[in-house]
Amino acid sequence: MSGRRKLAALGLGLTAAALLPLVVRDAFFLHVMITVFFFGALAQAWNLIGGYAGQISFGHAVFFGLGGYAGAVLLDHYGITPWIGMWVGAAVSVLVSVLIGFPTFHLRRHFFALATMALGEIIRILFLNWPYVGGALGIYYPLQYRNRFGYLMWDRKAPYYLTALTLLVLATALVAVVDRARVGRYLNAIDQDEGTAEMLGIPARKYKMYAMGLSAVVASLCGTIYASYVLYIDPYVVMGGQVSLFLVVVALIGGRGTVWGPVLGAVVIVFLNEYTRYWLGGVGRGLDFVIFGALVMLVSIKEPRGLVGILDRFRREKVAPAPAVPQAAGAAIVDPLPPREIGEPVLEVTTVVKRFGGVQALQGATLEVRRGEIFGLIGPNGAGKSTLFDCITGVQRPDGGSVLLRGVPVFGRSTHAVAWVGISRTFQNMRLFPGMTAWENLMCGQEHRGESLWSATVSAHSHQWREEGEALLALFGLGHIRDLPASNLSYGQQKLLSIATAALRKPAVVLLDEPAAGVNPRLILELGRHIRELNARGITFVIIEHNMDMIMDLADRVAFMAEGRVVAVGPPEKIQRDAQVLDLYYGR
Amino acid sequence: MVQLFIEASVNGVVLGLIYALVALGLSFIWGVMDLVNLAHTEFLMLAMYATYWLWALGKIEPALAVPIVVPVFFGLGWLTYQLLIRNVLRFHMVAQIFATFGLLFLLRYGAFTAFGPNVRGVWATDSGSVWLLGTYISTSKVVAAGVSLAAFGALALFLRRTKPGKALQAVAQSREVALALGIPVERMFALAWGLGIASVALAGAFLSPFYQVSPMLGDAFMLVAFASVVLGGFGRIDGALVGGVCIGVLENVLGTLISPTFKILFVFAVFVLMLVFRPEGLLGESR
Repeated sequence: MSGRRKLAALGLGLTAAALLPLVVRDAFFLHVMITVFFFGALAQAWNLIGGYAGQISFGHAVFFGLGGYAGAVLLDHYGITPWIGMWVGAAVSVLVSVLIGFPTFHLRRHFFALATMALGEIIRILFLNWPYVGGALGIYYPLQYRNRFGYLMWDRKAPYYLTALTLLVLATALVAVVDRARVGRYLNAIDQDEGTAEMLGIPARKYKMYAMGLSAVVASLCGTIYASYVLYIDPYVVMGGQVSLFLVVVALIGGRGTVWGPVLGAVVIVFLNEYTRYWLGGVGRGLDFVIFGALVMLVSIKEPRGLVGILDRFRREKVAPAPAVPQAAGAAIVDPLPPREIGEPVLEVTTVVKRFGGVQALQGATLEVRRGEIFGLIGPNGAGKSTLFDCITGVQRPDGGSVLLRGVPVFGRSTHAVAWVGISRTFQNMRLFPGMTAWENLMCGQEHRGESLWSATVSAHSHQWREEGEALLALFGLGHIRDLPASNLSYGQQKLLSIATAALRKPAVVLLDEPAAGVNPRLILELGRHIRELNARGITFVIIEHNMDMIMDLADRVAFMAEGRVVAVGPPEKIQRDAQVLDLYYGR
Repeated sequence: MVQLFIEASVNGVVLGLIYALVALGLSFIWGVMDLVNLAHTEFLMLAMYATYWLWALGKIEPALAVPIVVPVFFGLGWLTYQLLIRNVLRFHMVAQIFATFGLLFLLRYGAFTAFGPNVRGVWATDSGSVWLLGTYISTSKVVAAGVSLAAFGALALFLRRTKPGKALQAVAQSREVALALGIPVERMFALAWGLGIASVALAGAFLSPFYQVSPMLGDAFMLVAFASVVLGGFGRIDGALVGGVCIGVLENVLGTLISPTFKILFVFAVFVLMLVFRPEGLLGESR
């Protein structure tokens, strides 16, 4: 379907849904639909943090409940309309989301899941025993405000139907915006490989907190309106663990990390849930939940994107495997590279020390890389080469020494902040974001310094970055695989793509960790050529490599590391003949 | 006051040992294969139903049901690994969390559908009380605590002294190296699941004489079990023991001294603080 036809279908469906209460008067059916809207919107809220950012919350009822209580307490105690109460609830929810997210987001993710579960219980028990909010008795809505739009309270179901539908539409629109904007890709990137995302300069915790905050606001708004609908609130109704778990089921079965998954999930799950209760009465109690459990297990094994994923399979023809790199693509159009000039020191590493327990991985490693250089770093396994990269990029916390990039101290900064200063890096076991296309991977490499959350949410990649990206793809001969998932690319293509991604934002220095490992000889030549081209455009390279031919061919200078120290530095020919190097490296 | 404190502490230790036995399998599976089983305490609930029905229909006392219940649940654990867990191991950690989350729903509401929402209890012949350090505690609780200690001892011996035990330790340290050494890693994982679920079934059998079962029982024990594992240090067997006892004492002493309403709140608060400030646990090495 074309974009315009899609939009027309969407508008038509929405109009039909909005007009439904004029036709259908069955109160139970309308109630089920309203429940669908509420749980759809709640599942969308969860989708932002659990789907896109991959941080699983089992305590989302907390935000739902806080919204509900804010509306109920303000109306009951002070006569303040829920229209104001909902924003008070949203503000409190954001505060709570920060309190739980900030300390747990850097831990492994099952800790976050457990923490949200415990937090849900804690807040529920507190509310159960807090007289101000009615304790276990809860709060009945004061009914004198009925049938006034200003107080969100009506006798009939239709106005609630429209309000809840609006809520679902807004929540889905928000998710659609996130899905299309840069922030959606960044959240996916963080979900799939947080280390690489950080290395590209994406501040992972900040984005996770952002997704969590947005999610809390949406869940809280749902809570306020839901409380106005049921006209009664107590800790079991809005804060029960049941609510938390149920909305996860809705999002999972529908398809997490997709725009339509939670909507689809809500329709299927809520209808099954409500009508089995209706038809089976007491006989089939819980049977629907048994089915949901089985479905969730199936989803986790077979189709991580749930019902949306299954529908997609019917629609899309099979994705063709990645075409191989065309023979010598672009090899003929090598421009003569402009003469380079080697400038002042750009990366100064001074006496870096790193211990792991009793092992001295780095014992005062020192080196100086000049602007415009291609600098080789060689040495036997265990010499501390990768550890040095880790220390420079903030992956490991060094025990001593200093690193300056263009005179700016780098040590002590987190990984994304190091990237902002101007250092990029690839990993030895190359790490791309497997669930994204080559193009999406590449675009994650844009400059993130000074990028505001707002701009990442409202806009796609700017024209400038898209042009740079296209140019880089063409340069690397990867144009034909632009829209293939990264996991479908050949090993060599993945290597090229990871280097292109690291180089996109033209950092001052790119650190490459064994770029030639496991790559066929022809591709090694191609790789070397690309590194030269990028170098000619002003990027300084530091390359860890065991392939001596490649390093001797490429590097201006080579440092030899052994036992955590830089033993010798010099032009490649000299290092190759250095007696000490020969002795330590080759055992001669 | 002092007397109250002592009573609460002794009760707390006994209760804590029972918590520890519930948490043992959770910690064990977590340690061997780095996987959090959200459905762990649902197996506790099922084991208590099994014990109940053996008593109600077969007139078998809970303690005598152990030779039946424990092997059956060993099989259930093994089966769970083969049918479900094995298929999600190659995925992201998120998929593993969801798989056991689905299992939780299946088991909890399966029990709900099969047995209804009613609370059921074994009305065993009253075994009386024993005098322990200045306070009387029901014999069945003391027996359960003793069984817990024995189970921890037996598992420790099994891991240190037997060949499969050592193989399990190797697998826990590195799957790849274990595989290279010719250890059947998959079979070891299945064994870990069998042992883990069998141990929680043991807890269920000895919990039955003084704790009633309902389909939601797993929910009541779930966070306590996780708190025990995280408090002691996840992935360590002794972590579950230390964590469980700490939780039991904390719950009882603070519940007695401050307010019984909030005793479970203290447990959860400690759990969250632990996650935030010392996620490696009391016994774990700091990062």
